[in-house]
Amino acid sequence: MLKKSFIATVICLSVAASFSYAKEHPGKEYVLKNGYQGPKTCEVCHPGKAKEILGTVHWKHASKVDNVDNLKPGVEYGMKNRIYTMCNGNDIVNNLKEIPPNLQGKTKFSGCNTCHMGDHVSDVGSTGAAAEAAIDCLLCHSSKYDFSKRKPTKVDGNIVMGQDRSIEAAINITRPTSKTCMTCHESAGGGVLVKRGFAVTSEADVHVANKMVCIDCHQVKNHRFPTGYDPNNWAHDGLRVSCAGECHGEKPHKEAGLNRHAEKIACQTCHIPKTGGAIAKDFTKWQKQENGFWEPATLKKEANETIPVYAWYNLTVSNEPHFIGPKGSRGDSKSKIYPFKLFQGKAFYNQKTGDLMSMDFAPPMATGDTLAGVASAARILRIADYKPVPGWQTIYFGSNHQVAPKKKALACASCHSPNGVLNFKELGYSGEEIKKLTSPAIYFDQLLKKQEQEEF
Amino acid sequence: MKRVLTVVFLAAVMMVSVLSIPKMASAEEIKMVGVLNKIELAADGKSAIAILKDNKSGEEVQISVTDELTLDKLKDKRIVEGDEIRCKFDKQDKKNASKIFKKTAGC
Repeated sequence: MLKKSFIATVICLSVAASFSYAKEHPGKEYVLKNGYQGPKTCEVCHPGKAKEILGTVHWKHASKVDNVDNLKPGVEYGMKNRIYTMCNGNDIVNNLKEIPPNLQGKTKFSGCNTCHMGDHVSDVGSTGAAAEAAIDCLLCHSSKYDFSKRKPTKVDGNIVMGQDRSIEAAINITRPTSKTCMTCHESAGGGVLVKRGFAVTSEADVHVANKMVCIDCHQVKNHRFPTGYDPNNWAHDGLRVSCAGECHGEKPHKEAGLNRHAEKIACQTCHIPKTGGAIAKDFTKWQKQENGFWEPATLKKEANETIPVYAWYNLTVSNEPHFIGPKGSRGDSKSKIYPFKLFQGKAFYNQKTGDLMSMDFAPPMATGDTLAGVASAARILRIADYKPVPGWQTIYFGSNHQVAPKKKALACASCHSPNGVLNFKELGYSGEEIKKLTSPAIYFDQLLKKQEQEEF
Repeated sequence: MKRVLTVVFLAAVMMVSVLSIPKMASAEEIKMVGVLNKIELAADGKSAIAILKDNKSGEEVQISVTDELTLDKLKDKRIVEGDEIRCKFDKQDKKNASKIFKKTAGC
């Protein structure tokens, strides 16, 4: 009862908060009178916020990482500098640039930092007054942002990312919606729903169906975003998302048996039964597109088209040249079984060191010449001694979105049957244990009773 | 005789039904990649006509867009004229109803 009242209070407060946000922004009059000069205008009422942004992952595209193997101490990691086979490039190697002309003479702008909320002159990780002034506050905070203005152009030889700093955008301040987040996050990895493959739609996620938006779970504190422990998402703002807490509690189920499961099985395992997005990519093989540009060969899947793989995970990560994935075991008290999207990517390795090499996409995008891309990246990263050889890397992506409605969550027989989704042998169970774990005896009477109740 | 006529009548009804089912569901699914040449948003904002120039044939194809997610992207100009689009649509009764309408670009 107390729990229900608490949840009701939280919902009421959230609704009240959203109404108050939906009301006119108090700064509207000021903007109409004084115009909008970017962060300088926002800082009149929100002092210190611009500087605050510069310290976040959204600005730096990197952070200290302390749960991943084989990282250099003292170095911050993230999409700024990481090399792995979903992207094979990063902000440094694939800094926003104009692609050389293709055979049709066409060129275009491309780069990993295209989504960065600076103006590109003040770029990923930049600091100081110029960086503060370059922040595109309205990109996330305006409901009337004109995205056609957010495109790169060449100004005095520099590539500058345009921003909508119009009065119209500045007087329509609102709480960021899922659309705000997905503007950048849905196109990661080379196209819509390629990297993580989750769609923020009512059909795909029960939270969305209940009118929740991204920041209802990723509750932002001072522009720092809580994130989960995806083995392939390293940078974080020091805050973590959890299903427990104000929404679901430590014992979320009515049935004690299910709560016992939750001690060893992550919520996502039963409640996110499907995943999506690319399952494999080959950066050694680029395909010519009808527009004359080339793209890495990619096997794509829509949202909810892929069955996850399940593994023990203690929230620490194995990071090897050919593998990035969860560490943990049945015997490890900190481990739980989690679902992952299995991705395999092929790229060039340096035969002399065994390290995965990065690729500058500009040359292969124009001509399909992958080795020219490796050579360009090596120049940028000052790697002189290398011999590129192709190889595969396996990556476990956390499966943390697309929460299914209760009826579509995994049920007893989804796992406890001989053809269930869990590979008990791989998970460390003996033959005798597997025999018991896959017997209907575990759930038969309970489900029969439930069935009878539902029938009458 | 009456029984024979009944059987013949029922058979005829069944044949008509069977033949009409595929006709009703004969929408042809087409995939194409093309540059967005023109967007015409309906006054009520609940639909749009997008004209794509097929990269393969060079022909202009009119696509009817009704899903909210894409309409929203057209309204706030996250998708604009000149963008390259990967589209899947149902060709039915001279109307091309969009099923998937995504920009090809990513990062």
